[in-house]
Amino acid sequence: MSFVDILRGIFEGFDVTLIVTLLGLAYAIPFALVAGVLQHFSQGWLRLLVTILIEFWRSSPLIVLLYAFYYSLPAFGIYLSGIAVGAMVLGLNIGGYGSQSIRAALQALDRGQVEAGLALGLGRLDVLRLIELPQAITVMIPTFINLAIQLIKGTALVSLLTLTDMTFRAKEISQLSYDPVRIYSSLLLAYFIVCYPVTIFGRYLERRASEGRRSISEI
Amino acid sequence: MTPIHELSVHNNAQDTMQAPAIQIENLSKWYESFRALTDVNLTIAYGERIVICGPSGSGKSTLIRCINQLEVHQKGRLVVNGVTLVPGMKGLSAIRRDVGMVFQHFNLFPHLTVLDNCTLALRRVRKLDRREAEAVAHANLERVRIPEQADKYPSQLSGGQQQRVAIARALCMKPKVMLFDEPTSALDPEMINEVLDVMTLLAQDGMTMVCVTHEMGFARKVADRIVFMDQGQIVEQAPPSEFFTNPKHERAKLFLKQILH
Repeated sequence: MSFVDILRGIFEGFDVTLIVTLLGLAYAIPFALVAGVLQHFSQGWLRLLVTILIEFWRSSPLIVLLYAFYYSLPAFGIYLSGIAVGAMVLGLNIGGYGSQSIRAALQALDRGQVEAGLALGLGRLDVLRLIELPQAITVMIPTFINLAIQLIKGTALVSLLTLTDMTFRAKEISQLSYDPVRIYSSLLLAYFIVCYPVTIFGRYLERRASEGRRSISEI
Repeated sequence: MTPIHELSVHNNAQDTMQAPAIQIENLSKWYESFRALTDVNLTIAYGERIVICGPSGSGKSTLIRCINQLEVHQKGRLVVNGVTLVPGMKGLSAIRRDVGMVFQHFNLFPHLTVLDNCTLALRRVRKLDRREAEAVAHANLERVRIPEQADKYPSQLSGGQQQRVAIARALCMKPKVMLFDEPTSALDPEMINEVLDVMTLLAQDGMTMVCVTHEMGFARKVADRIVFMDQGQIVEQAPPSEFFTNPKHERAKLFLKQILH
């Protein structure tokens, strides 16, 4: 098998990798935002509840979570597809990390920003939405991109739930051709081909976000 | 007796103009065991210009930050624009929109242009549409003599320019009272005057102003009354002519000696 054939074979699993990634993001982004903001603002039992939820998803090994949800939920009468379980587990795990950087970014923001917003008569939610979050999210772009890449790489684990993603395809091809060196090198290359554009996109986002913040020396 | 129809012509704005803008009675605030304010009494009329001065840590900033409840008081009565402020009350934003505040470190929103800094609250709080809000913003940027910077971001401006934008942002809301919390303390010396000039213009326009500042030249020129604080209490209140030539309190004498050399 030629290199190109191997890559073509691996990319037959690209659709699963892509779907799990996109669905995973659909879990990760809202979870990170809501959990991070709630942890920043809440007190008492609500804060405890949010913290427990975040820690559960963040501190458990992915592979254990995947198996636990995929193989034990049916015992409770809940049948979820491999893609559904994979996206949920990966998404909430990454979202757990993301929530911490949202909280950190909100905490790092100068208190004067909130005070200025309140002093103008804006409500607390408006201050969060129009003043704090836009600044926090701008600061977090590099972290977000990092987590997105983490998520893409994490999807390799769904091959263990018998989903035919890129990693699963590589294993299949490897079992047919007995050429692990070339096949797994190709798999490495395949993930690089998928992840690198995300890095470039992240740099573009950072450049755009920093456009308004040029220092006075650059005028 | 006043006939009914004359009573109804007598509008609310007139009423509030006659009542004091700010009334502070026995106001106290403490952090743990530290007493930041102790039984402060101060009444400020509409149109009055007050300068609050005193050594650092004397409670000047805490006092004006209580007026828009950025700091919450524990004891005493505080009436702003006719509304009694109770710690933890709802509806604070309705009171704050009529009380402008200028901060020591400007606190402009770095992610918004100068124009958007000015229009944000107009659109969200006053519910103006973009065109109306921008017209108000431009008029106020004109007033602080910085109309040409409308499309820049705060980080592209000098400190003095940023502080003037902050003043314009507060003025856009048409506040009845303006609070200044050491507005020139973070500025390079050569930028102080451009900010003081704008504040002087405001004073000449009849704005009710409460300024915490160490700029004694400004105080002498603009203030109707100097309020001198020490250790969380107001120890002396006098018109500038009297305060600067004949301070009564020992601490005020010492303060003036040190600050005026």
